[in-house]
Amino acid sequence: MQLSTSEISELIKSRIKDFSVSSEARTQGTVVSVTDGIVRVHGLSNVMSGEMIEFPGNTFGLALNLERDSVGAVILGDYEHISEGDVCKCTGKILEVPVGPELIGRVVDALGNPIDGKGPVKTKETDKLEKVAPGVIARKSVSQPVQTGLKAIDSMVPIGRGQRELIIGDRQTGKTAVAIDTIINQKGQNMKCIYVAIGQKASTIMNVVRKLEENGAMEYTTVVSASASDSAALQFLAPYAGCTMGEYYRDRGEDALIVYDDLTKQAIAYRQISLLLRRPPGREAYPGDVFYIHSRLLERAARVNEAYVENFTKGKVKGKTGSLTALPIIETAAGDVSAFVPTNVISITDGQIFLESDLFNAGVRPAINAGISVSRVGGAAQTKVIKKLGGGVRLALAQYRELAAFAQFASDLDEATRKQLERGKMFTELMKQAQYAPLTVSNMAITLFAANNGYLDDVPTEKVLSFEKALHGFVASKYKAVVDSIEKSLALSEDDEKKLTKAIEDFKASNAY
Amino acid sequence: MAEISTVARPYSTGIFSLAKETKKLAEWSEILHLMATVINNKDMLAFVSDPKIVDEEKEKLLIDLMGKGLSKEGINLVKLLIENKRLGIVATISKMFDELKDIDQGTIEADLVFASKPSKEEVDELIKSLEKKFKKKIEANVKVDEDIIGGTIIHVGDTVIDASVKGQLSSLAYNLKA
Repeated sequence: MQLSTSEISELIKSRIKDFSVSSEARTQGTVVSVTDGIVRVHGLSNVMSGEMIEFPGNTFGLALNLERDSVGAVILGDYEHISEGDVCKCTGKILEVPVGPELIGRVVDALGNPIDGKGPVKTKETDKLEKVAPGVIARKSVSQPVQTGLKAIDSMVPIGRGQRELIIGDRQTGKTAVAIDTIINQKGQNMKCIYVAIGQKASTIMNVVRKLEENGAMEYTTVVSASASDSAALQFLAPYAGCTMGEYYRDRGEDALIVYDDLTKQAIAYRQISLLLRRPPGREAYPGDVFYIHSRLLERAARVNEAYVENFTKGKVKGKTGSLTALPIIETAAGDVSAFVPTNVISITDGQIFLESDLFNAGVRPAINAGISVSRVGGAAQTKVIKKLGGGVRLALAQYRELAAFAQFASDLDEATRKQLERGKMFTELMKQAQYAPLTVSNMAITLFAANNGYLDDVPTEKVLSFEKALHGFVASKYKAVVDSIEKSLALSEDDEKKLTKAIEDFKASNAY
Repeated sequence: MAEISTVARPYSTGIFSLAKETKKLAEWSEILHLMATVINNKDMLAFVSDPKIVDEEKEKLLIDLMGKGLSKEGINLVKLLIENKRLGIVATISKMFDELKDIDQGTIEADLVFASKPSKEEVDELIKSLEKKFKKKIEANVKVDEDIIGGTIIHVGDTVIDASVKGQLSSLAYNLKA
């Protein structure tokens, strides 16, 4: 027999002592119908929208539709034991989830219950699931970077702390891989991570958790899981639950990163609930407020100023800004970004990373389409060194795309055009990166420095990546001072530049690649 | 699909305003109770909802059956309900009519559940305090249910005042678990 912590005699004593014996007045109703997790209740005249309703068997529901003669509610969890005629009652509360650092390293469901078999989560606080995002006065512009460790993203579509950057692409284009790599790279960056899995296979979630554990990322990560077999209500609520857990850090002057994988499935779950509640369907059968479910969620990802944090913590934390960075994921069908949900989320977020099947199949991984991927606010947050060196990549790739159509006439082209084509090809190759192998800022700077200054122009395309790897090893062993200097200042001084030039020349002379 | 109460509402308000005009509230209440009892009989319900039986036959049987209890308007109501194929909602119409009547007369129905048979004084005192709380005249139905162990549970509309030992025990259990 297991004993839980709530059974300590002192605790029981105090709880019994504090328990006030008074009559309880409440409103109750009768279940009229139960259909696929949606119940209609007669009565409950005082119920509020979004209020929790208690059903028999310690089951709770969420009142969503308040109509003239009935209340439509969605059951959270199992609903098989609820039948017509059951009595339910108002609780006067709205849904809350546990929050706090105790959740780190844990896998929980959409209501914050642990599902990883590591025992109860001993959080001290709970917080509301649905909250209003901070207003304009409480905000501060994005100015600190989130290092994803991916060359293609950090140099071309930089992400700042407090930004919402969409990852969009067809199935099997490496969307989750980009997000997981970003989480793995947050080690030692003072960033708490939350990964919200919505409507995914339990085996996929399990693999993600295992990969995070293997890479030591579970030390600062919480996984919120609403798998494909969980009810639509839980899949709909999981992102809000994850967001509340992330806001805990934001409001206390810390930085957090949240990945919603993926919001398409959340919209589908919400569509199911809405249709069962008999709300009128609109475009693609989504209800009228499908934009709002995503906008109110993503608006909560923000950077808040010192005054907000100080006010929130009642003066305990001073002079610190907090942030919640969101990486929502959207899955498109056959590259169709003009479908309803993708256009909505594109318009809500501060930029998007486009992943393409064609590039993925051609071996360009991460399969980022540099032409249509943008970051609207991240430029202000980019580290100085990457900002200085990264500009060339975008330009080279843009010129390459323009000229790519002529590539087949290679022999007839003039020298300048051919050179540009080759440079573009080299940069495309250079932007490839293996999974679970994020790069440090200094290594990224070394790579970009070498490429910008033409040291890679005479390297055969297929050897570019091995050149890069060997160069990183060489500089780290023989010119450690440069690496340390870049890591410390996150900028490239003239002195560093000279040393780096010498290092690369030495390396090329050694012919070690 | 509309809710039954949504369908029943226009009937009950219509009957109520007619009854009020002609000052026959109590009479109509009885007619509706009678109709609800007759139609809610299992065999009767099967008969009136059988599509193979023509409307005239249903009408004849129902009017014959309730004959003396029905006024001229009552017979018209039966005909109207048969024509609109709404015989099945008579019980709801009757219930809503009673609610409208209660509101009009400033009374409200209350179920008082006790653990053991209460004395008349106890019930009277409780009704007095309830009348003060709800500012309406209370029509009380007293029930005894040993399951609640002690105390009382009061149902007024969809408001429940739980002052039973059972309710307190279960909220203590919830408090200990939380």
